[in-house]
Amino acid sequence: MNTYDIIIVGAGPGGSIAAKTAAEMGLKTVFFERGRKPGEKNSSGCGLGPRMWKDFEIMKELTPEKCPSMRAGVAARNYFVNKEDIVAGYIMARPTESVSYEPAKSWITMNIYRSEFDPWISEFATDAGAELKTSTLIVDLIKENGKVCGVIDEKGEKYRASIVIGADGVISTVAVKSGLRTKWAQNQVTLTTQYDFQAPPEKIDDIMGDEALAVWWGATFPASYQVFFRDGFHQGLGNWMTWWDKNPLFYLNKVVNLKYYQRLLKILEAKPRELQAHLLPWLDYPHNTHTDGVILIGDAGGFPCPLEAEGIYPAMLTGKIAAEVATEAISSGDVSKAVLHKFDEMWQKTSIGEEFEAGYELWNIWKALPFSPKETMSWFVPMIMELLGGIFDWSQPHALRIRQIASQIKSYMPKATPFIMKYVFPLVAKIFEDDLDKLMDPKKIMTILPKLLELLPQKKRKRGGKEK
Amino acid sequence: MKIELENLNKRIAGTGNFISVDNNKCNRCGRCLIICIMNLWRKKDDTIYIVDDYQSKCLECASCYQVCEAGAINFQYPVGGTGVVYEKG
Repeated sequence: MNTYDIIIVGAGPGGSIAAKTAAEMGLKTVFFERGRKPGEKNSSGCGLGPRMWKDFEIMKELTPEKCPSMRAGVAARNYFVNKEDIVAGYIMARPTESVSYEPAKSWITMNIYRSEFDPWISEFATDAGAELKTSTLIVDLIKENGKVCGVIDEKGEKYRASIVIGADGVISTVAVKSGLRTKWAQNQVTLTTQYDFQAPPEKIDDIMGDEALAVWWGATFPASYQVFFRDGFHQGLGNWMTWWDKNPLFYLNKVVNLKYYQRLLKILEAKPRELQAHLLPWLDYPHNTHTDGVILIGDAGGFPCPLEAEGIYPAMLTGKIAAEVATEAISSGDVSKAVLHKFDEMWQKTSIGEEFEAGYELWNIWKALPFSPKETMSWFVPMIMELLGGIFDWSQPHALRIRQIASQIKSYMPKATPFIMKYVFPLVAKIFEDDLDKLMDPKKIMTILPKLLELLPQKKRKRGGKEK
Repeated sequence: MKIELENLNKRIAGTGNFISVDNNKCNRCGRCLIICIMNLWRKKDDTIYIVDDYQSKCLECASCYQVCEAGAINFQYPVGGTGVVYEKG
């Protein structure tokens, strides 16, 4: 019989941090990986944010020797693609003056391939004394008197422990077998597919400079992300399960086949290298994260950021908290659901908890905007482009152009106004809480608006500024 | 530009059978046919099935399992150490 204090199913960044934390606290720890090594079953999850360096000391040891794909960038580009599949414009943005965390002024993400990052981070756990079992798929849980007390692998081998941490990703055996859920609801999970392109590092540096990533906002496809590594880049897109009316690759190929994109591939000397697909939980709030003897972390627990689905940082943070709560519960001799509830209390106090406080509003607006190309982006893209690019026209007097632009923008209002009412105001009200809640009351705005319009000059001024 | 999907992924043989469908539970909604990136599902004479050589093409994303509201598709990850390997994931 294999007996441990704690079992962690999954050796991604969350599982490894949980294993490291548990081992450092003196627990006899084992963690399982179904691949031959950690990271070889992962796709995407490639951008590391500056807060990881703030919260995890080990990140300072990440070097190109350990992780050759790493590439940090300070800028992000937003491309706007119209209904005719033409890149109508783009904005390149660097950290703005309001950014308060000093390191975040010089880089926005560190991009890495998980095939390099996950093995690296798992070594901190094994160095701390945790045992890593690779090429081992956990297929069931051991239960006694209805309570989980271990796991069973595909060969029937049993491993016992007081607590099992489910770090086994989106399709979590631990979650299902412990009864915490049967399956995600269709609006709690997205399917993401992406190509990896290889490109010479010097081409990427010459052409992309210090850009870390790009988002391609489309009027005919869901928003597509592009993430640059040292010698290649990902181009991917995703959407909730219920959205797809065609093979998801149809939409991704639309991006890749944009004329602009083909030019980019050509000058970058880029070639397709790998095709990847994965499910990604994308929730407004994580529920059912624990039961007797079980805690779910990372993707298994539904922790990716409700706005951008950043997953690695929430996985590492919940992994650390889960191991701390588990250690305390084990030493107290009580691993019941009531005691493990402390896990929820603790993550809710972190930046992840703060993120999920506005989780529903963030999730809702994101779902309705970049992921609703036909309903929303079809008017959003031309509206943005009127604002950004409308003035560049040398065929008419500028005053006439401004009137044309204003009139065009006004034509989008029947669609934009309900969108703002339904998605933007609730988010703003949630974030700024009470005071703005009152200000943002749609009824109040509708009473103020006519008064504001009255303040505008009614008469046209004659040339030279004299009154008519 | 047509990207050839063959040979874009490395695979370790020996996965065993890891996807199956129960046609008694299946309601023929066809969502598995749409969602599969690798286009591995077929419909013939009102029966849904996955192609015979799916083990050498599947990306193991589990979308077919997740999207199946009828609970007709069974999915378990392949045997440890086998199946698709993402070298640049």
